[in-house]
Amino acid sequence: MPAPRWLRSLALPSLLQAWPWLLLALALLGVRLSKGAGLADAYALLSRPFWPGTAQAEWLRSARRFEDTARIGALEAENARLRGLIGLQQASPKRLTAPVIAREPAGWWHTLLLGRGSLQGVAEGQAVLAPGGLIGLVSSVTPSTARVTLLTDPASRVGVWVGRTRHHGLLTGLGTPRPVVRFLEKEPGVVPGDVVTTSPASTLVPPDLPVGVIQSVDAGADPAPEAVVQLAAPVGSVDWVQLLAR
Amino acid sequence: MALLSRHPWCAASLLLVPVLTLAAPGWPRLAGVGPCWAILWLLPWALAEGRLSAILAGATLGLLLDSLHHGGVSEIPALMLLGWWWGRIGRLGAPVERSFSLGLLALLGTLGLDLSLMLQWALRSSLGAGSGLSGGGIDPATLAKPGWHLDDLAGAGLHVLLARTLLTALLAPVLCSLQLLLWRQQGGGVGRR
Repeated sequence: MPAPRWLRSLALPSLLQAWPWLLLALALLGVRLSKGAGLADAYALLSRPFWPGTAQAEWLRSARRFEDTARIGALEAENARLRGLIGLQQASPKRLTAPVIAREPAGWWHTLLLGRGSLQGVAEGQAVLAPGGLIGLVSSVTPSTARVTLLTDPASRVGVWVGRTRHHGLLTGLGTPRPVVRFLEKEPGVVPGDVVTTSPASTLVPPDLPVGVIQSVDAGADPAPEAVVQLAAPVGSVDWVQLLAR
Repeated sequence: MALLSRHPWCAASLLLVPVLTLAAPGWPRLAGVGPCWAILWLLPWALAEGRLSAILAGATLGLLLDSLHHGGVSEIPALMLLGWWWGRIGRLGAPVERSFSLGLLALLGTLGLDLSLMLQWALRSSLGAGSGLSGGGIDPATLAKPGWHLDDLAGAGLHVLLARTLLTALLAPVLCSLQLLLWRQQGGGVGRR
């Protein structure tokens, strides 16, 4: 049976002329069926030279830091308000950076001399921090210098506690690089590796400052059980410290 | 006191002692402990200048060093006594010049100075000592008493004493002989008489 007339009018020559359009239609159909995968990959390839560089990534990190700082500030303010309600010392006082201009980390006296004094607002009793944690307290001040008694000095006594067991003790310098904690309880229950911080109930130093890690425990010491503490801050090599306002 | 009267600027070198004590240079150290700069300056001064000048220098040094340290102990008595002793040796006997003699005198001087400090701390500790135990348990007041205690002196204190004494005695032949030469030249050889 011969083909109908209309079909004959769409004969092969017409199809051959329209093949680019057919290919385009097929490609578009493929893109649609692949949910734009090819298109996205092609765009990524073409636009790679214009992708955001490290500068923009740094902007994002900076924004993240800003967000974290703001959130920490809000949390500290809330913490200070709550501590004020129960009459405890503020946890995050203002900090003053000071250079170490002389040091004597061994011998009969374990001290540092700082290049900031009463003219800059330094006062006796201020806590001194180095990277890692507390290293001592200001023992005397001149207009332009401050003398720090290190935690390792035999004259140093600071109230601390072990957060894991919630037991208080007195951090006592012995004239050696490692001070000891003398506990006020007969059975403190601490083990090597426990973290020592300043006491939350302290009225002399800001609470919860990291001090060090317990290295060994002598439960039979007289008159109180004691533990040797490895200080977290490198006392002998620190060049700049931070003073916490009281 | 010839040197003090002819060249009073020489006495200004005494200020090097507190400066070096504060600076605490890192190289001359034994087991982490530095030398006793006061002994290293006072010994040649006393040998060259005699008793009176050395006693005055010892008192001045003691005042300066006590102002740098806390704890209620003093270096003045020991330094004055050493000044008197070394000044007497410098005047009465033959001139001290041998390295061994200088080292030995520095060793004995540092030992005496540090023992005087240890004795003061031991007295303060024993005068205020308690058992550490109160009726219901541990007495926090006793634990909180600051300063060197007898146990600490026998441990870390002994370490400091030995390290400082040995290091000072080792440095003395070099440093003291140079100073002694300088002071004797400046003072017109008074120390040799």
